Amino acid sequence: MTAALARPVAAAAPATSRLGRIAWNWRHNPKLELWLAWYTILVFYNIFGIVFFVMTRSQPPPKAWWSLPRMVQWFADNEWGLLVGFGIIFAMGAFATASTALITYSIRRMSVSPAFAYTYLILYSLAAVPGMLLTCIALVVGAMRLDRDPALMGSLYDMGFIAFSGTMGIFLVGSVIWAVAILLDTNRIFPRWFGYFNICNALTEVVVATCVIEKSGPFAWDGIISFYVNMVVFGIYTGVFITLLRKMIEREDFTAGSPLSQHRRPHAI
Amino acid sequence: MWVLVMIEGLTFAAYFVVYTYFYRQSPDLFLASQAHLDLTLGVVNTIILLTSSWSIARCVERSRAGDYKAALRNVLLTMAGGFLFAGIKLYEWSVEIGRGFTFTTNTFFSFYYFLTGIHLLHIIVGSIALFVVIHQLSSPARRAQEIIETGATYWHMVDFLWVIIFALLYVMR
Amino acid sequence: MGISAQARLALGWLLLTGITLFAWWMGSSHGPGPLRPDPAVAAGAIAITVVKVRVIIMEFMDARHAPRRLRYLTDSFLALFVIAMLATYRFA
Repeated sequence: MTAALARPVAAAAPATSRLGRIAWNWRHNPKLELWLAWYTILVFYNIFGIVFFVMTRSQPPPKAWWSLPRMVQWFADNEWGLLVGFGIIFAMGAFATASTALITYSIRRMSVSPAFAYTYLILYSLAAVPGMLLTCIALVVGAMRLDRDPALMGSLYDMGFIAFSGTMGIFLVGSVIWAVAILLDTNRIFPRWFGYFNICNALTEVVVATCVIEKSGPFAWDGIISFYVNMVVFGIYTGVFITLLRKMIEREDFTAGSPLSQHRRPHAI
Repeated sequence: MWVLVMIEGLTFAAYFVVYTYFYRQSPDLFLASQAHLDLTLGVVNTIILLTSSWSIARCVERSRAGDYKAALRNVLLTMAGGFLFAGIKLYEWSVEIGRGFTFTTNTFFSFYYFLTGIHLLHIIVGSIALFVVIHQLSSPARRAQEIIETGATYWHMVDFLWVIIFALLYVMR
Repeated sequence: MGISAQARLALGWLLLTGITLFAWWMGSSHGPGPLRPDPAVAAGAIAITVVKVRVIIMEFMDARHAPRRLRYLTDSFLALFVIAMLATYRFA
C-alpha cells in the first residue's frame, strides 16, 4: 500500500457548487492527469472531425483522377476552409498526442513488457502527428498561393492525400502491437474482445494500400472499399477505444504495477 | 474471438455487396474476365480449406476428449492444408499474371486480386493462430482449451470467407 | 445422441464437399460462347454458399451448442447477407 492510497481517494468531492467540485478535483483527484488526457482526446477528435470533414472538405477526399486544372479548382473552392481549418490544426494538432499517451499508459498498466508501450509510443508519434500534419502542410501550401504552376499544385494535392492514406500502415502495426499486448496481458486492463477488434482494425486498414495504384473506382483513395468501408470500421474502433479508455480510468486504483502508484500529487496550482 | 468473426464477417459482407454492385454495372466485362479464371483450381482450393476446417474441428473435439496426440496431428494437418492453399493460390496468381491479367487490368481483376489477397493475409494471420495452438498442444504444461478453440474459430472464419469468395468470383454469373 | 461427434464432423465435411462439387457443376454448366448473366445461377450460388457457411458455423464452429444469442446473431447475419446480395444483384 502506498502513501498515495492512504489519501482518502474514496472521499468524494464535497457536495458544494459545481465550481467547488471542479476545484476540489483539481486539487485532490489523483486521476486528474488521466481525465485531462481523456477529455483532451474527446475535444481533439471533435475538432479534427469538424476541420477535416466540414471546414476543409478534405475528407472524404476528392478524386484522384482529376486533371490539373480541376485540382487547382478544388484548392480555389476550398481556399479559406483549408487555410483556417488547417491553421487550427497547426495550432492545436499536437493534442492528438494525448490519445497516444493515454493508450501507452494503458499498455504500461498491463503485465506485458514495457517494450510494447514504448514501441506503440514511437510508432504513433511517428505516424499520427506527421501523417496528419503533412496533409495539412501540403494542402495549406497549395491554398496559400493559387497562382502556382498547376503541376506543383498537383504534386501538393497528391502529397496531401497520400500522406493521409499512406500512414495507415503505421496505425496498422500499432494496432497489432496493442492487440498482442492486450491478448498477453494478465491484468485485464482491456477486455480480450478488444484485442481481437484491434486485429480487425489492422486487417481492414490494409485495404488502403491499393490507393497508390488505382486512381479511380473502389480502390482509389476515395473508393468505396479503400476509403468508406475502412473509415466505418476505423470510426467505430475509435469510438470503442475512447469508451474503453474511460472505463479503464474509472477502474484505475493505483495498485502496484501502475506507473502512478508512486505518484505524489504536488500541491495544485 | 467471435467479436472478430462478426466484425470481419460484416466487413467482408460489405466487400461482397460492393463486388456484386460493380458486377451488375459491367456484367459483360466481369463475365469475360471471369472466364479466364480456373474454376477447377478454385474448387480444389475450396476442398482443401474445407478439409483443413474439418481437421481443426477434429482437433478441438480430440483435445476436449483429452486425446492431445490426435489433436496435435489434426492441427498439423490443418496447417499443412493452409500452406497448400496458399501455394496453389500463388500458383494461380502466377498463371493469371502470366496471361497478362494484373490488378490494374480491369475492375474484375482488381476485385479478384484484392479479395483473394486480403483472404491470403487472413490465412497468414490464421497460420500464426495455428502456431499458437500447436505450441499449446505440444506440452502438458500448457494446453489451454480456450486458446485452442479460439484459434480454431478464427480458422473456420477464414474457411467460410473463402467459401463465399469462391462462389462470387468463380461461380456467380 | 445417435452419432458420435467425430462422425458428425465427417458428415458435415461430406455435405460441404458435395455442395462444392455441385457448385462446380453449376459454374461450368454453360454452353459454348461468352458467359451470360444468369440470375438462377447467381441465386443458386448465393443460396448454396449460405448453406455451406451455416454448416461451417453450426457444425464446425460448434455454434449448435452455443448460447441462443450467438445462433440468432449468426443466423441474422446470414439472412441479412442473403438479402443484401440478392437485392444488389437484382437492383444494382
